[in-house]
Amino acid sequence: MTGSNHDPRGNRDFVGARVVDPKLGLDGIRTIVVRRGVVAALLDGAPAATDSDSERIDCAGMVLCPGFIDPHVHLREPGDSYKETLATGLAAAAAGGFTAVAAMPNTKPPLDNAARIETLRAEAARLRGPHCYAIGAITIDRAGTEIAPLRAMAAAGAVAFSDDGSATRSLKTLYNAARYVLDLPQPFLSHCDDLSFDGGLMNEGDTSSLLGIAATPAISETAIAARDIMVAQATGKEWHLCHVSSSQTVELLRWARALGIRVTAEVTPHHLQCTEEALAAFDARLRVNPPLRTTADTAALRSAVAEGLITIFASDHAPHADSEKEPPLSHACVGFSGLEVAVGATFHALHNVELSILIKNFSSNPAALLGVPGGSLEPGSPADITGLYLQRPWTVDPQRFVSKGHVTPFAGMTFAVRPALTVVGGVVLMRDGVVQSVDMKTVDTRSTATEKMPS
Amino acid sequence: MTKTKHLLDLDDADRPFIEALITRARQFKAGLPNENIRLRGKIVLGMFFEASTRTTTSFAVAASRLGATWIDFKTEGSSLVKGESLEDTMRTVRAIGADAIVVRHAEAGFPHALARYFEGAVFNAGDGAHAHPTQGLLDAMTLVEEFGDLAGRKLLICGDISHSRVARSSGRAAWLLGASVTLCGPPLLLPPSVPGWGFAHISADMDAVLPSADAVMLLRIQRERAAGGDMPPYADLATSYGLSLSRAATLKPHCIIMHPGPVNRDVEIDGSLVRSERSRIERQVENGVFIRMAALEKSLGSPTRERVA
Repeated sequence: MTGSNHDPRGNRDFVGARVVDPKLGLDGIRTIVVRRGVVAALLDGAPAATDSDSERIDCAGMVLCPGFIDPHVHLREPGDSYKETLATGLAAAAAGGFTAVAAMPNTKPPLDNAARIETLRAEAARLRGPHCYAIGAITIDRAGTEIAPLRAMAAAGAVAFSDDGSATRSLKTLYNAARYVLDLPQPFLSHCDDLSFDGGLMNEGDTSSLLGIAATPAISETAIAARDIMVAQATGKEWHLCHVSSSQTVELLRWARALGIRVTAEVTPHHLQCTEEALAAFDARLRVNPPLRTTADTAALRSAVAEGLITIFASDHAPHADSEKEPPLSHACVGFSGLEVAVGATFHALHNVELSILIKNFSSNPAALLGVPGGSLEPGSPADITGLYLQRPWTVDPQRFVSKGHVTPFAGMTFAVRPALTVVGGVVLMRDGVVQSVDMKTVDTRSTATEKMPS
Repeated sequence: MTKTKHLLDLDDADRPFIEALITRARQFKAGLPNENIRLRGKIVLGMFFEASTRTTTSFAVAASRLGATWIDFKTEGSSLVKGESLEDTMRTVRAIGADAIVVRHAEAGFPHALARYFEGAVFNAGDGAHAHPTQGLLDAMTLVEEFGDLAGRKLLICGDISHSRVARSSGRAAWLLGASVTLCGPPLLLPPSVPGWGFAHISADMDAVLPSADAVMLLRIQRERAAGGDMPPYADLATSYGLSLSRAATLKPHCIIMHPGPVNRDVEIDGSLVRSERSRIERQVENGVFIRMAALEKSLGSPTRERVA
């Protein structure tokens, strides 16, 4: 977990950057001294001399933060490696500035037993990329009826449980599953979407009515969110709501907090800023679950972040083959390739929110949710570091994605904040857009030569 | 969509576009010389993924009268159904030599997807609940024939509004020509906000809105959708939103009755009203051929267009 599987030495000094670690209350120029993959010290200014066996990395102009953790990605293995592989998905994570991801269990077959959790973790570890944690299914086959071997999966390393992709069908099963593992730290993550609205292609509202398209209303999310919050209250299990998309769900969160129910929530960059009107031209690429909603919803979600009701950012990275995002809408798969735009898009949507809050929501808060290392650069912590340029405008070109999925609602948009550095266990996996790793070929994601950084 | 050779919907249509097509259709109706050579050599492909009798036939007759060749594309068991991508199918169809496609499909936006990949012209003959532009145009033509200027005229569309592509296209076309449009149906089947779809009044009370209408259009209740859980009880629909004889007695003397068909007699409309003096139902069908001739000619036949103005 500490990066020992990356580089046996991992001795590097990251020099000249503004280091922001909200957990430490730190915001200042520091040198991060890394020895054997662990943060050894945070020094004022540059060290007088660098050890002969350590590498000095100039980070002037960057903000260095605790490594970003994406708690919600779909890496498509096993079963759909034509959409994404662990290698391409983890390379995309590194490209996007993430030092760790948590993989959702809706693979084929699903991650619903200990052997599959172990296999995924072992295969990911071999790639020497960002950390890859596994989330186990709550029910066997994600069918929503029979409780999966949660305790065995926890023992095999599952960091959370979820039937993501759909809501757990049976309330009774969900309730009993939560009681069954009440003593374990792994939280339950809810995909809130009532199954009776299956077949909805976009948000129900003025646009769907005008277009005559089968649609899913916000209550499909809020009703399940309310149900699952009640399960959290009844059982005392720690709960988390995935990809909140509706303003009413924010109100439910507010209510749950007031009652002291242990529930957190995440939001995606697309739900923070994209709205249903974008589908007016029947753009099949924009099909996603939960659907893009209204400007009132995006505004409520941004306020919820500023207010501290939503404390975690997630990309919901859901890559598909290009041909699967073609029209007509009903044939298009749901979701976007998110890892490589999440940081830029989220900072863009929330440019009014304090930097320390944004960094916490990308690092210490997801670390706390999943109970994984990281979230701080305190000496003794694994040297998982994300570097950002706060003012380095870049334009999203999905054709340059490392991910196999090239569809994003942010194509062509320009963002100010750009991931600059991804360091895992002291090893530099990405610098200035160039991804490097033992098992992933070197990939240059910079879209134009003019954007190349002086080294 | 009206700036292109395609006719996909009336969402971006303007008044001159609609008026020009109606004018041309009325010229065809009055009789134009040599109509059967205007599109000679053109191949029009009918691609109907949903059952259709009147629209298919009407388009086929329109194409034939202009001298074009109408070919039925077999959608059942077609390569599209076998999983061929739309793009590949459309390129094949173009390579075969089709100049235009007339398409009907259960999904909103399907013709728009075809238009992305097909170099010829695409005519939407109905896409799900979204649009049926030639129906909208033929209804507007029928209204214009009846009333001349539509300013101040009230069109009432009754029934299952939300599932109706006809309501969207006919309502918009009439509104673009100056009519006031009211959509009337049970609360579950109306647009969610006012004005509906950006142009229409909304009412759930048929008895209240009938007496002021100049034209009332009834829509078929799509009973087959009830199992999906998004339809009000069928029994309510016929009694609350059917044009019974007693309701018809409250109509203005000159009010006409329209229906895009097929008619479910004694459900949305009393059977005896279908061929009554007020009814323009057969006129609508008749006008459909001329509107489709005008639309086909506008997209496929270049030199004659100048004569329209």
